[in-house]
Amino acid sequence: MSRVRVAGFGKRKVLASGWLAGILVAAFLAPTSIPTPDLLHTTQAPFQAGHWLGTDPQGLDVGVSLLQGSRTVVLSSVPAAILTLLLGAVLGSAAGFWRNRALTTVARVAVAVLVAGLGLLFLPQLLAFPLLGSMLLVAAGALMYWPLRRAAWAQRSVAVPLDSLLMGAVNLLDSIPILILVIGVAAMQRPSATGTIALLALTCWTTAARIMRTTTLQIAARPYVEAARMVGLTNFQLLRRHIWPNTWPLLALQLPLTVAALIGLETTLSFLGVGFSPDIPSWGKLLSTVRQAPTAWWLALWPGLALAGTIVSLHSLAGLGANRSDVTK
Amino acid sequence: MAGWPLLRYTARTLLAAWFILSGLFLLSRAHTDRNTFLQNSTEGNGRRLSASDQAHTTQQLLQRYGLDVPLFYVTLGSAAATGHISWRWHGSRNQYHQWFRQLLAGDLGTSYRDGAPVTEVLSQSLSYTLPLTLLAALGSMGLTLALVLWLSHRPRWRSAWLSGLHVLRALPLFLLATCLLLLLANPDVLAWFPTFGLGLEVEEVAWWQQPGRLLYFLTLPTLSLVLVTVPGLVVQLNGALQHELEQPYIATARAKGASSIRVVRHHALRNALLPTVALLSELLPNLVAGATVVEVLFALPGMGRLLAESAAAQDYPVLLGAVGLVALVRVAAQVLADGLYRVLDPRIRTHA
Repeated sequence: MSRVRVAGFGKRKVLASGWLAGILVAAFLAPTSIPTPDLLHTTQAPFQAGHWLGTDPQGLDVGVSLLQGSRTVVLSSVPAAILTLLLGAVLGSAAGFWRNRALTTVARVAVAVLVAGLGLLFLPQLLAFPLLGSMLLVAAGALMYWPLRRAAWAQRSVAVPLDSLLMGAVNLLDSIPILILVIGVAAMQRPSATGTIALLALTCWTTAARIMRTTTLQIAARPYVEAARMVGLTNFQLLRRHIWPNTWPLLALQLPLTVAALIGLETTLSFLGVGFSPDIPSWGKLLSTVRQAPTAWWLALWPGLALAGTIVSLHSLAGLGANRSDVTK
Repeated sequence: MAGWPLLRYTARTLLAAWFILSGLFLLSRAHTDRNTFLQNSTEGNGRRLSASDQAHTTQQLLQRYGLDVPLFYVTLGSAAATGHISWRWHGSRNQYHQWFRQLLAGDLGTSYRDGAPVTEVLSQSLSYTLPLTLLAALGSMGLTLALVLWLSHRPRWRSAWLSGLHVLRALPLFLLATCLLLLLANPDVLAWFPTFGLGLEVEEVAWWQQPGRLLYFLTLPTLSLVLVTVPGLVVQLNGALQHELEQPYIATARAKGASSIRVVRHHALRNALLPTVALLSELLPNLVAGATVVEVLFALPGMGRLLAESAAAQDYPVLLGAVGLVALVRVAAQVLADGLYRVLDPRIRTHA
């Protein structure tokens, strides 16, 4: 029984990786130029010479659009997922490690408040003379820190509520469904391709941050971390050498799932025609053309298959990883 | 005591909603370019106006939409005479202050597109979205319960069903809805259901036929929403039920001689429902978000489509109102989930 299951998983893994490799190759083979529409053959059925996968109502070849859509998937969803995970990992592990007890001194807080306040108050002047202004700001900060350096009251420690701040931000973003939040922000100004990636990363990092926070909390409470602290390692050494090696596998597991979620979000937005520049080719946009020609099944079938195949492959890769990590545990 | 967590949650969500709405408001107003706004607003007016008349109209238009005063309490502006940039304090005579005061009084402003009050536009579209989302919520909860109870007696089918549901859960909503549309509302395949609309436009529909007709037209949109939400709920509830069935009290119930159906329905299900209720507070806002996709695809004049269209047309007052309403839906869902907790778990009631 178990051998059959393992063989099944292996086959599924090979299929999934093969499909994803195919998407990757298609992304690099796709023509970069904007395709010219073939106005003599609009809404042409597939399996005919010239356009093997058919054409859409504008006369664009469905096959070429599919290839270009796969490049959008690879070049926007994957970087956005990596950014999302990085952001979530840094914020989550910082909050999980320091919790609400990150220590700093009164003097540092006072200097930070002073520099920020001065910077805001003299922002116009700072904008006019950026170099001189920032030098003056640094000088003012140093001037303030100098006398406080020795004072006993200024050296008392203050706790920074990192964890509360992070959870506040997570709750803020989670109070509105991501799709609606992204639609709302993207409506203000159609973001560029880079802006889209940044927008997706800035709205989707909460899941990764939650996961990293919880695991870091668990790992940081283990005795070996306490022992390493007793030996005299600094916080950053603890984090880098003793905590991250145990937390990043979970994050790596999240990568395929995050990519899949972002592909879903990105294609949904292009399907709705909201927020994205209309000349970026996308499977979602291709699928939305079926609304203009409801009888043209090929407009929905090919991009639908590509999308479903990619997302299911990513999910089955993640599922495999979960099983494997259970085994090694 | 039991009221406090709910109160705190509500306050937190409202605070978050205020924060997000303020951010969106400031972003939107900062991006509203005065010149293009005026051009769009006076486009339909073919008469040529004299310069003084034009200035007058411009002033009136800006005043009507509240664009004639500064954006925020303080702005970074340059004095015209010297070109010197400096902070300027405007007091309460600014767009943000006016907007927020109106918001507290329940006035969401007027739509940029047709000048109608936003509250009216929203309530009109809500009358279409509410039946859709409530039907979908009830449908997905009922289907989840039925499916989990059915699976609890058929362990051999369980893994196959669960892996199928995992695949279904991974797919985006618009893909499923398009598939349903092409399969079940297509004259070439199966024309069982209408492709678009609500079926209330036809004159000869008698009043007693209307609910049935509405149900018929809402079948496909509701079905696509249900198909997307059910897998997550089933996976969660099934896991919880299997966990409960391993507990000692189940052995006691069996020893008493309870039938397996009674053990599942009477003893295990109630405890298993508790963690699933937590998902309910996510379910309603997610259904509203899903309604955006479904309503665009099936051409229903509901709130989701309003949201997508106002975003595409940069009609900010409507957009802000719709986003705020979604935040309120979330609060309402949380209150509902809290009430359900008390119904399901007597321990919470006695502590209250």
